[in-house]
Amino acid sequence: MQNEQSLVHRAQRGDKKAFAQLYESHFDKIYRYVVLRIGNKTEAEDVTQQVFLKALQSIRSFKWKGIPFSAWLFRIAHNLVVDYLRKVKKVVITPLDESSVKSDSNPQLLVEQRLDIEQLISATKRLTRAQREVISLRFAGELSVAESAKVMGKSEGAVKALQHSAIVALRKALLRAEG
Amino acid sequence: MKKTKEFNNILNDCLERLLVKGETIEQCLQSYPEHAAEIEPLLQTAMATKKAVAIQPQPEFKARARYQFQSALQEAKPKRALPFFSWQPQWAVAIAVVLVVLLAGGGTVTAAGYSMPDSPLYAVKLATEQVQLTLTPSDIGKAELHARLADRRVAEIVYIANKGKPKQIEQIAQRLNKHLAMIASLSLVEKGVEREMPVLAPAPQQVEEGAEAVPAPANAKAKLKRLLRRNEVNHPAVLRALLEKAPESAKPALRRAIAASEANYQKALEALD
Repeated sequence: MQNEQSLVHRAQRGDKKAFAQLYESHFDKIYRYVVLRIGNKTEAEDVTQQVFLKALQSIRSFKWKGIPFSAWLFRIAHNLVVDYLRKVKKVVITPLDESSVKSDSNPQLLVEQRLDIEQLISATKRLTRAQREVISLRFAGELSVAESAKVMGKSEGAVKALQHSAIVALRKALLRAEG
Repeated sequence: MKKTKEFNNILNDCLERLLVKGETIEQCLQSYPEHAAEIEPLLQTAMATKKAVAIQPQPEFKARARYQFQSALQEAKPKRALPFFSWQPQWAVAIAVVLVVLLAGGGTVTAAGYSMPDSPLYAVKLATEQVQLTLTPSDIGKAELHARLADRRVAEIVYIANKGKPKQIEQIAQRLNKHLAMIASLSLVEKGVEREMPVLAPAPQQVEEGAEAVPAPANAKAKLKRLLRRNEVNHPAVLRALLEKAPESAKPALRRAIAASEANYQKALEALD
């Protein structure tokens, strides 16, 4: 955290290397979060790029007031996802390919993992937006409950309750998909 | 209500242990035997959901995105004040800039700097670039600016290709080729060879007849060479990666841009060596 705070201060003073480091350390998590929220790989790529361009434009406005930098970035991502979902009437889920899934070299495992993830993305479509948001932040973005609460503008207790209902709903959706 | 809150806390504790500490479901259940029946299926679902961390951006997308971000990062430098006397020979253009700033507001010009070709502010961005070129006094400075603008054009091609707009790719590729031709031409002037004005290139500042070229300082030359070497490697590579995915109608323009970038950077670097 200390290190990240120093990187953010340097980035705010125009240090490009510091910003590039912040970009590298958060890019994959933001992309995962957006993919799980939107379900469409191509659109998720576009939104992820916008997140960092937006962060670059507004880094000077970021202030350390108990909000970690990662929560600020996810907040930008959240706003862009909301804008995107408002514009499109129906999101078309696109299948992932093998290079979109991290795995060891076992091709069998890779295929199974890809199918599991696709099933998961489809199942999240049955959740409410708030439930999908909490699942995406906690499981794809790897944020803590406290950080997720900052992004969502809710109390930690509310996020825990939402997390509970989201997992229950997700379980039902996954069981239904398995038939 | 209190019971629900307590259960939410227990579930969250187990999730932290599974997701962060890497404990097993059994270890969590041992801590809460009275809730085991209710909590176990939820933890199994959580383990299935944990697979989301295996989602990763495709390497080609990551490379494209990094390139676009680096370009934006390079452009995000604080603007320096222009030398007062440098505007005199181009007074008409300078007045035009003042008018643009007064009428549209400085914020518009700043915002335009980040705009992409599908943005209404893009025309302001291009006009601002022309003004910058006109107000840059030396050939070496102009060549450097053209090299930076070429970098912008490549980032714009990447952006527009992702949007699937082949017609615009062609237009931007033409602008890129003009910058490349100008870089080569200005570098030859720096070497002392008579300027070959490219057919397509706009002439931002004609050298007055009889005027002698003033040699550029060594550090300006070295800076330009570093920039050109970086572009020489990056631009053809990024455009080639795009070529594979681009629609057929955009491929001729991309091929021309690749050929132009390879030839002109090499030509410019040879002239500067």
